[in-house]
Formats: sequence, C-alpha cells, structure tokens
Amino acid sequence: MYARLMRLCGGVAAAVLGLITLMVCYDVIARNLGLRSVVWINEVTEYALPIATLAAAPWLMWRNAHVRLDLLGMVLSPAAQRRVDRLSSALGLVVSLLMVWYAVRMLLDSRAAGSIVIKALVFPEWWLYVPVPMGFGLLALECGRRVLWPAGLAEDAESPA
Amino acid sequence: MTWWQSLLLLFGLLTFLLLVGLPAGFAFLAINLVGAVVYLGGEAGLMQVVRNGVASVTNFSLTPIPFFILMGEVLFHTGLAMKAIASFDRAIRGVPGRLSVVAIVAGTVFSAISGSTIATTALLGGLLLPEMLKRGYHPRMAMGPIMAIGGVDMLIPPSALTVLLGSLAGISISGLLIAGVVPGMLLAVMFLVWIITSAIRHPEHAPAFEREEAVGWQRWRPLLVHVTPLLLIFMLVIVAMSAGWATPTESAALGALATVLVCWLYRSLSWKALGQALMGTAAITGIILFIIIGATTFSQILSFSGATNGLVALVQGAGLPGWAVMAGMIVMLLILGCFVDQVSMMLITLPFFMPMVQHFQWDLLWYGVVYLICMQLGLLTPPFGMLLFTMRSVAPKSIPTSEIFAAVTPYVLMGVLMIGLVLLVPGLATWLPALLLGK
Repeated sequence: MYARLMRLCGGVAAAVLGLITLMVCYDVIARNLGLRSVVWINEVTEYALPIATLAAAPWLMWRNAHVRLDLLGMVLSPAAQRRVDRLSSALGLVVSLLMVWYAVRMLLDSRAAGSIVIKALVFPEWWLYVPVPMGFGLLALECGRRVLWPAGLAEDAESPA
Repeated sequence: MTWWQSLLLLFGLLTFLLLVGLPAGFAFLAINLVGAVVYLGGEAGLMQVVRNGVASVTNFSLTPIPFFILMGEVLFHTGLAMKAIASFDRAIRGVPGRLSVVAIVAGTVFSAISGSTIATTALLGGLLLPEMLKRGYHPRMAMGPIMAIGGVDMLIPPSALTVLLGSLAGISISGLLIAGVVPGMLLAVMFLVWIITSAIRHPEHAPAFEREEAVGWQRWRPLLVHVTPLLLIFMLVIVAMSAGWATPTESAALGALATVLVCWLYRSLSWKALGQALMGTAAITGIILFIIIGATTFSQILSFSGATNGLVALVQGAGLPGWAVMAGMIVMLLILGCFVDQVSMMLITLPFFMPMVQHFQWDLLWYGVVYLICMQLGLLTPPFGMLLFTMRSVAPKSIPTSEIFAAVTPYVLMGVLMIGLVLLVPGLATWLPALLLGK
C-alpha cells in the first residue's frame, strides 16, 4: 500500500515529463510548419517542472536515490551508522514540516490577497504553490517512517541509470 | 555578524548537515530556513524560501534537462544502445587494447545522444567490462576508459549538467552546449592515444584474442544501420539549435521524440521500455532539480549576509592577477569535486565565482568550459566521484575499490591537462560556438 503510494509519486512525475515532451514537440513543429502554435505551452512546461520535482522527491527518498554524502558510513560502526541515519531522517522531517507549514501559510495569504498570475494563462497565483505542501507532506511521511522504522519498507534504488 | 562569521556559520552548518548524510537538497533547504530567520526577516523570509523554491525550478531554461535525459534513457531501455556498441565492436579491429578503444569510441558516440553521464557509464560498464575481464584485460585497462568517457559525456551535448550551469551562471545555454564539443572530442582522442600506447608498452594488460571476424560488408553494415540514426539525432539537436529554428528546450524535446521514433522504426520500442525510460528520466531529473529548489534562496542568503560581497571584495582588493584567481577557483572546484555532487558544487561556488568572472571580464563560454571540465573531473575523483560509484556497482566484487581509483588516475591527469590547454588556447572553447551561432 505504502510502496504503491511512493511508486505512484514517481509515476506522476514520469507522466508529467512525458506529457511536456509531446507538447513542446507539437509546438515547435507546428510553429515551423506555419500552423497555429499554442501560446501557453511554454508556460505550462515551466509549471510542470516543480510538479515533477516535488512528485518525484518522496519516491526518490524512499528509494534512497537522493544525492547524499556517504562519508560517515565508511568509518562508523553499523550501530552508530543507524543512529546517524535516524538523526538525518529527523532533520529531514523537520525541514519538510517547516516547508509544509510555510507553504500552506503562503498559499492562504496569496489566496486571501487575490493575487493572480497574468501571462499567457491567467489563474490565481496560489495554484502554483499547491504541489509544495503535497510533495513535502509526503517527504515528511517518508522521513518520519525512517525515524520510526528505519529498516523495512524501503526498496533500494536499482541502478541509478 | 561580520561577513566572514556568516560565511563560516553557513558553510559550517552545510558541511555538518552533509556529513550526517542528509540528502543535499534537504541540506540546502535547512540552511535556507535558518538563514531566512537570521538574514531575511523571520516569518516573511521563511515564506520567501517557499516562493523562491518554486520559482527556482519554474524556469524555462531548465526544461531541456528532462528531455536530454530522456534521450539516453530511451536508447538504454530499448536496447538500441547495446546494438550500437556491438556494431563498434565488430567494426574496430587490429588496434592494441581493442576493447578499451571500443569503449572510448562507442562512449563518445553514445554521449552525443545521452544527457546522463551515469547512464553512459552504467551502460558501457555493464556491457563491455565483463567481456574485457573475461579476455584477460587488466582491471585498470578495462575500467579506466569506461569511467573516463562517462565523464566526457558531460562536455559533449546533449548534457543535462551543461544546461544547469548555463541556467545558474547566466551563460548562453546553446553556446555552452556547443562550446563543449571540441574539448570533449580532444579528450576522447587523448584517451585513445593513451590507451593504444599503454597497450603497446604492456601487451599483457590487454591481450589480443582470436574471434570470428566479419568480412566486407558484414563488418560495416551494423555500424551503418545502428549508429547513423544516432548521429542524425545528434545533428538534428545541434542544427535545430544553432540555426535558430528552435530554442535549446525545443531542440531537446525534438531530440527526445526523434529518439523514440527511431527506436520504434527499429522495432525496439515497447510500452514497458518507454515506461522504464520515463521513470528513469523522472528519477534523474528529480534528483537534480530537488537540489535546485534551494538554489535561489541560498544565493540570496549568501548575498544578504554580506558573505558574497565580503569574499569577492577581499579577493578583488588583494589585487591578485587574473591567472591566480582562476587557478584558485580551479583548485577549489577540484577539491569540492572530490566530496560533493556537481549540482551542489554549482550552488556553492557560482554566487562567488560569477562576480569575479565579471570583474575580470572573462569570456563566459571559455570560463564555462573550464568549469565544466572541473565538474567532469569531480565525477571521477575519489572518494566521492559519482562515476566511481557507478563503476563500483557494475564491477565484480573481487576488484578492490582502490583498483577502481587507480584505474581512473591517468584520465584525471589528462583532464587537468585539458584544463590547461583550454586556459592557454581559449579558441578550443570559443571557436565552434562563434562559427555556428555567430556569437
């Protein structure tokens, strides 16, 4: 169940990236053929990046795929290593929760102020920030799991390729 | 707090967080949260961290990254890349250290179409290494070239890290991508010369072996069939970009689509392979961009705390000549490269380095290429070069890690030599972009 949720995150990121590949290709081909190009594609491609990044982040955390320095792992005993791992997961949890908290506050502020993004597309600014609490909320969940049950559920990253 | 106290605080904290094994993206965010409270006005600053985080990755100049990565992933998962390498294996014969030469040549071509250095190394390592070891190649002779050419992948477009450098440092992305071509090729040639001469000096390190030789057309046909389309895709990307038909993002997307089409035409494409390629792309893109979420705020905090100006003014005030500053930067990058990943390297150094580059009015493309080679060496330098780990994961357990480090050493030295060459002959970096882009 939990594994499925994490893989779903990765799946969402993959789907978003696949989709923008097609959209950008359509746009450039249409423009060079003199067909009508779609003005909002560039903009949507930009918005897709934070969505893909924040969706992938919890999944990558779960697979131990994020870039991290492994220096202490080489010198510490396994027991000490586990304690350090818990400490780093706890720090990750604190960072994630702070990000969720301030993202929600900013989102509500922006909504209350009625800020609007006016580019090719016009929409309320707070929409842009919706992925932040979701992504960091899931990251907090994964970090919390690592603090409480360090072993178990996670599957190690296959080859990073 | 004086600027140097701030500098010590921020980088001390960053070092601590990285040391306890916090993922780099989290480490930068944690610094940002602390820095926001201290320097950016508390609550408002903390919300600024979130706002900047979204803004850092909501950036059209970063969009080529997933597309470039997708190109390599598609070739990798559909098996077309393996066929291309096999065709080099068939065509190249009679040279000393033949399999190592195949690794370099195939790696160069593959890097012309893959945006991910790790994919290149994993692919060549998984495919050629077992064969080399079985044939009695010395492990150094076998592993060195594979890791080295993986690093060169970063210089030869398409390259995800080049896009990132251009975006973060404010250097023309298409210019920088093209500027990497000549130094990348030269490095590949240097590697070839090195391999062949050492195979002549120590034939026992790369024993020649009998095999069934394809004759005539049979020897060249696979090369034509499997490699030409890859070169055409490379040309498509470069031409679309330099002729002004498409932005770097659009060229990258076209390249990715063309790669998928080629795989489909060759009947290698399956839904499963495409799915795996997209998941792989999501993973590598996510790894890179998650670190970038902290980028804007981190450089703002360095600047607000006075650390940026303080250090830059100190260096400028010291009246050092340009070459000494350049040498200092290179040494710093090479040392950093031994410990932190490429994205973090850029985040840490660019806020300080770019003002100096402006101060000395150095050519941005020239500087960018030097920076790229330094980062490339960071992929290869112990103890934390990413490609060393990639090699560790594909090499047999019986090979000690120290042997992997030893294998890569001559290639690191050649990289340093290349930095020297580009410094002395800036044209190596600037000539091709000037020719193609008129810049």
